[in-house]
Amino acid sequence: MSKLVLKFENSILQELAMGEKEVSIGRSPDNGIVIDNPAVSHYHARVFNEEGRLMLEDFGSLNGTFVNGQRVKMVTLKPGDSVMIGKHTIVITESVEVRAFSLDHNASRPAAPKINETVMLDTKERREFLQKVASGGESAQVAPTRLKVPTLVVKRGKTDQKEYNLTDKLTVIGKSGWATVKLKGWFAPKVAAQINRREDNSYYIGGADKVPSVNGQEIGHPMKLSSGDIIEVAGTELEFVFRD
Amino acid sequence: MDFGARTDTGRIRENNEDSFRLAPELNLFVLSDGMGGQASGEVASRVATESIVAHCREAESDSSMPLVGVRIAGVSGAANRLASAIRHANDEVRKAADQNSEWNGMGATVVAVQFVGERMSLAHVGDSRAYRLRAGELELLTQDHSFVAEQVRRGIMTQKEAERSKLQNVLLRALGAEPIVDVDVQEELILEGDTILLCSDGLTRDLSNEQIAAALNESGDEQAQEAAERLVDLANQAGGGDNITAIVVRRTAKPVGAFARIGRWFKGSEEAS
Repeated sequence: MSKLVLKFENSILQELAMGEKEVSIGRSPDNGIVIDNPAVSHYHARVFNEEGRLMLEDFGSLNGTFVNGQRVKMVTLKPGDSVMIGKHTIVITESVEVRAFSLDHNASRPAAPKINETVMLDTKERREFLQKVASGGESAQVAPTRLKVPTLVVKRGKTDQKEYNLTDKLTVIGKSGWATVKLKGWFAPKVAAQINRREDNSYYIGGADKVPSVNGQEIGHPMKLSSGDIIEVAGTELEFVFRD
Repeated sequence: MDFGARTDTGRIRENNEDSFRLAPELNLFVLSDGMGGQASGEVASRVATESIVAHCREAESDSSMPLVGVRIAGVSGAANRLASAIRHANDEVRKAADQNSEWNGMGATVVAVQFVGERMSLAHVGDSRAYRLRAGELELLTQDHSFVAEQVRRGIMTQKEAERSKLQNVLLRALGAEPIVDVDVQEELILEGDTILLCSDGLTRDLSNEQIAAALNESGDEQAQEAAERLVDLANQAGGGDNITAIVVRRTAKPVGAFARIGRWFKGSEEAS
């Protein structure tokens, strides 16, 4: 089976195995291979199988389709061919279904057991499991109605507010225009540190342009924050607390 | 932005059920790992990646396009759009499964990132992962929606036990499983020099964090494609037990502008004389 590999300069953007169906190429989103570039026509070309041969047809595109450097209207493609459309290239490769490795070991190696294939827990089982998870975690969690608000209280340093409620999943500390905790002063870094809220509503602090300290210790990895933690970064001291 | 990707069937499986799509014009990168009989996993992952890119592309040209599903508070419009695209993909995977009886029950994981300036929106469903390499340190950004990962989070299993468990392959969430999919969405800060890796579980089952970090650290500027290929090769050498896919995206240092150009100008004239 042939494979079409879409490349831009050196980078692979997409791989598409050729089946029975033809693959259309163009700027319009309904093509099999979409190349979003003004130099490419909305419906530029197509690749299809005909009597066991792989064919390429250019739909009379404005800027043309080139195979191995030659402008083409309709050609047979072979593995290794390089189809140039605008600045993008589509390389034709032969995808080897059975690898040499498997062939060598075929006799002794049975087919991969199906048991290893990824499966979804079926709906009923999944619901039961998730319910169990939810109820099991109850004691550790606070009921949503009484959810405490995580807050940063400024202890030292120049910031635009004295306190910040952490309502967003990402909180940035820095001078940047979109930082939540806005640092002032000439030498303040654009993005000093970040705090992420994870799915389980825990908060983690991590470094950006600066390495923050928590309770006087520099952190190497992102670290989970607990109420009462003192964060120091870029000359600013902040206390992390859960407020009612 | 420097980017590259590679996928491989691995050494054991017969089909590659992983798919990826890089849409640099949208700063959007998508990876999906399909599952299901009769090669339908290939279909599911392809439908997933295609419909996510199509949804984001459409939203780019028509910003008034309504979101699929409810808006998530605390994250940006871009992150909400990405979640919307994944919910749309869930609908598309289910639609495709309905059209062909052989494809009944097919599903797919997905991990997708989109960059807007220094912010990255990250959304995922299932056990495909996103990592960030910053200053040489590798950090896992996503939490697997798998049975064993949930047991570890609950403190019932240790990480070591989870890695040996026969139930590693059991997912709690996937595209195609139910009419409504719960998408995890987050936002991250991306600095110059940061590298983002998106990968299917085939990569992480065969390689340790240290091996992944080393391979990413070894690759220099403008070598994201090489890094993706290196990672997949290493996983194959380590066993290749499953399909393996890696997308590598690196935020390269900005050209320094006028000063650098002036610098090169003078440097150039020196060489000529």
